[in-house]
Amino acid sequence: MRTQTYILNMGPQHPSTHGVFRIILELDGEVVVKAKAVPGYLHRGIEKLAELRTYPQVIPYTDRMDYLASMLMNWGYVAAVEKLMGIEVPERAEYIRVIVGELSRIASHLVAVGTYSVDIGGFTGFLYCFRDRERVLDLLEMVSGSRMTFSYFRIGGVADDLPPEFFPTLDKFLHDLPSLCDEYDGLITGNEIFQARTKFVGIIPPDVAVNYGLTGPNLRASGVLYDLRKVRPYSVYDRFDFEVPLGKNGDCFDRFAIRIKEIRQSARIIRQAVDGLPEGPIMAKVPRVIKPPKGEAYAEIESSKGVFGCYVVSDGSTQPYRVHFRRPSFINLGYLEKLLEGWKIADVIAILGSLDIVLGEVDC
Amino acid sequence: MFGQGLLKGLAITWKELFTRKVTVQYPEERLPLPARFHGRFELDVDKCIACGLCASACPNKVIQMERAKVGKRQYLTKYVMRIEYCMFCGFCVEACNKDALRFTHIINMNQYFRDKVRLVLVDRPAPEVIPEEEPAEAPEGRAAKPKAGAAGKGKAPEGEG
Amino acid sequence: MGENLFTGIAAWMRTALLDIGTPPLLSEFIVLLVKLLAVIIFVSLNVLWLVYMERKVCAYIQCRIGPNRVGPKGLLQTVADVLKLLGKEIIVPRRVDKIVYLAAPLLVFVPPMMAFAVIPWGNGMAPVEMNIGIFYVLAVASLSTLIFWMGGWSSYNKYSLVGGMRVVAQMVSYELPLVLALLGVVMLAGTLNINDIVNAQRQVWFVFAQPLAFLIYLTAGISEVNRVPFDLVEGESEIIAGPYTEYSGMAYAMYMLAEYANMMVVACMATIMFLGGWLAPFGWTFLPSWFWFFIKVYALIFLFMWIRWTYPRIRVDQLMGFGWKVLVPLSLANIFVTGVGMYVYRAIGW
Repeated sequence: MRTQTYILNMGPQHPSTHGVFRIILELDGEVVVKAKAVPGYLHRGIEKLAELRTYPQVIPYTDRMDYLASMLMNWGYVAAVEKLMGIEVPERAEYIRVIVGELSRIASHLVAVGTYSVDIGGFTGFLYCFRDRERVLDLLEMVSGSRMTFSYFRIGGVADDLPPEFFPTLDKFLHDLPSLCDEYDGLITGNEIFQARTKFVGIIPPDVAVNYGLTGPNLRASGVLYDLRKVRPYSVYDRFDFEVPLGKNGDCFDRFAIRIKEIRQSARIIRQAVDGLPEGPIMAKVPRVIKPPKGEAYAEIESSKGVFGCYVVSDGSTQPYRVHFRRPSFINLGYLEKLLEGWKIADVIAILGSLDIVLGEVDC
Repeated sequence: MFGQGLLKGLAITWKELFTRKVTVQYPEERLPLPARFHGRFELDVDKCIACGLCASACPNKVIQMERAKVGKRQYLTKYVMRIEYCMFCGFCVEACNKDALRFTHIINMNQYFRDKVRLVLVDRPAPEVIPEEEPAEAPEGRAAKPKAGAAGKGKAPEGEG
Repeated sequence: MGENLFTGIAAWMRTALLDIGTPPLLSEFIVLLVKLLAVIIFVSLNVLWLVYMERKVCAYIQCRIGPNRVGPKGLLQTVADVLKLLGKEIIVPRRVDKIVYLAAPLLVFVPPMMAFAVIPWGNGMAPVEMNIGIFYVLAVASLSTLIFWMGGWSSYNKYSLVGGMRVVAQMVSYELPLVLALLGVVMLAGTLNINDIVNAQRQVWFVFAQPLAFLIYLTAGISEVNRVPFDLVEGESEIIAGPYTEYSGMAYAMYMLAEYANMMVVACMATIMFLGGWLAPFGWTFLPSWFWFFIKVYALIFLFMWIRWTYPRIRVDQLMGFGWKVLVPLSLANIFVTGVGMYVYRAIGW
C-alpha cells in the first residue's frame, strides 16, 4: 500500500503550545517525520523599544519577557546596568532581591509543573499548582503592588522595602510548601500513567545539551551541574546553603521532576535569606539621572528557565545604545526540531511542555 | 508495586474533595487589596506643582499635562493619563516628589468605548492671577477647586461604573 | 416511595386503555411507546444532570465551587448552556462532506438511546424485555464508533481525522475485552436475558464472583466512553477536540451530551452485570428497587468522574498495547478460569 506523509500545522492557535508558538509537523500517521518550529508571533521588539527609553524606563519592558518570573527578568537587566555603572548594591537590597527572585522562581516553576500536568492530560494538577501560585502572587503583590509585571527592581536596589505583613504570610507559605510539593509529587510525579508517558521520552544527552547551549532545569535534567547560583555565584547566593537537583536520563520526566525539587530548594534559600535579612538601605547612592559611562556590560543571572543574560551598550547618554537579552527559553528551543523527530503527536506536546517555554521570552 | 501511584493519586483527589474551597465569589466577596496595590491613579491638585517629573518618568508617555504660567508659578490646567497605554509600573508615582500622584484601590477602569478610557484627572482653566496673599488666595483657590473636583467626580462614576 | 410506582402506572394505563375499549394489541403498543418516551425524556434530563454533576465533582476535587449562579446551587447551568448553544450558529466549514457532517451529531444519541430500551431500571421495569438483552446492548453500543468516525472523517480537518482514526482503533480494540469480560458473567448466569442475570445475583453479586472481569469491564468501559485516562479521541492537549474540532453550537453539544449518555449505558451495564442491578444489598428492601439501581449507577459514574479528574492521559500506542497485551489475555484467562471453576463445581456436585 502506498502511504504518504502529511503536514500538520500545530499552532499558533493550539491549546498546548503555551502561547502563540507554531510547529509545522510532517507526520507519518501519528509519528513525526520532521518538525519545524516557527517562533515570532509574540515579537514586540523589546530590545528596540529599550533604545528609545531611558535606563530605568526599560525595567517595565523586561517584565514582559518572561512574564511568569518577571522579578528575575528585572534582575538580569538591572544587574547589567549596575555592572556598567559600577554600582554597589546595598546588602539588604540584595537579600530582598534573593527573596523575591526565588519567590518568582517558585511561581514560574509552579506554572511549569501545572501546565505540564495539563499537557499530559491531568487537569487537576494544573489547578492545584495555580491555587498555590496564587499565594506567591499575593506575596509579591504585597511587595510590589502588581501581580504579574512587578517592575520592582531599580538600578541600585529595589523600589520599596518589604512590608511588615509580608513576613508572617511568607512564613506560612514556606511552612505549607513542602506538603504542597508532596501533593504534586503524589498526584502527578508518582502516577504510573504519567511516568509511562514521560520516562525515556525526548531524551537530551548531556553533551548535546551543552552543545546547543541549553541552560536551566533542562540542562540540569541531563545531569550537567550548571547552576549560576552555584558555579558562579552572583548577588549573595554564595552565602546560602542549597542543593542543585540533577536529573539522570535527561528525559521529559527528569525535566519535570527537577522543577518540583527546585521549588523545595528555593524555599530553603528564602528561609535562609529571611533569617539573615540585614538592616540598612535598600537603594545604593545612584544619581538622579542615570547616565552610565561609555562602554558595555554583560550580566547573567539564573532565571527560572535558564541563564538569563543582558548585554547593555552605553554611548554615554541617558538612553542605552543597544540592549540585548539572552533569553533562555529561546535558546532552549534550539534542539526542539531534532528532539521531536520520531515521536508521536502526543509526545510533541509532552516534549514541548517539558522544555517549559514562555512565548513572551522566546519572541521577546 | 504498579498501581500504587494510581491509588495515591485517587487518595489525594478524594482528600481535596472535602477540603475548603479556595474560590472567592468575586462581586460579592472581595479579597483585601494590599496597601501598595497599583489601581487607578488619583492626583491631589493642591499638592501638585506641575513639575512634570511624572510625565518624564513614564516609559510610555502616558501622562499628558498642560501648564499655564500664572504669575511666577506653574499652574496645572490639564492632566490626562492615556490609561490605554499605561503599564501600571508605578514610576510616575515614585517620581512624584510632592506625593501628589497616588495609586488608589479602584480596580475598575473599564469602559465600553475606547475613547472614554482616558483618565482626565485635572481639567480646569487657568485663573487670571494667583494672589500671593493668603486671604485673597482662598476665594480663588476655592473657585478653582470645586471645578477640578467636579471634573474629577464627573469622571469617577464612569470609571467605577 | 413505592416499589411499584412505575410498574403501577404502566399497569393502570394498560387497564385504563382496555377499559375504554382499545384493542389489547394497540393498548400494549401505546404503553410501550409511553415507556420508551419516558426513558428518552428521563435519559435526556439525566444527561443534563450528569453534566452538572461532573462540573461539580471536578470543581470540588479542584478546590473550586463550580457552577452556582444559574438557578439554585447552579442546577440550571446546563440548561442555560444548552439554550445558549441552541442559539449558536452551526458552522459548516467549506469542503466538508455536508450530509455526513451534519448527520453525525444527529445520530450520535441513537446508540445509547437504543441501549436504554432494554435496561431494567427496577424490578420488572425494563421497557422491552428481551431474552438476548446483553447481546443487543453490546451490538448497539458499538455502533457509536461509526458515528464518531463519521464526524471525524467528514470534517475535512487533520485533527478531526486523527481523532476519528483513534476512535476506530480504540473502540474496536476495547470492545473485545469488554465483551469477553461480560462473557464470564454470562457463563455463570447461563443466560443472555438481563432480568435473569440480575436475578441470578440474589445470592452473591457477580462482582465478588468475577472481580477480575469487573475491573476489565470498568477499564474497557471507560475506554468505550472515551474518558480519561483513555480520552485519546478528544485529547484536547494534542488534537484539540478530535472529531468534534470543527463542530460548533448544538452539533457540538450533542457530542458532549452523548458522551454522558454513553457513560450512563456503561454504568448501567456494570450495575446489571456485576453489582446486582436493582437488587437491594443486605436485603435492605425499604428502598424501592429502582432507587437502588440509581444509587449503584451514580456511584459508578462518580467513580468515572473521580478517575477522570485524577489521571493523566495515556498515549495512543500505550493504549493499544494495554488493550491487546493486557486486557484481552486477562479476559481470556478469566473466561478459562471461570469455565474450569464451573466444571469443578459441577463435578463436586454443588
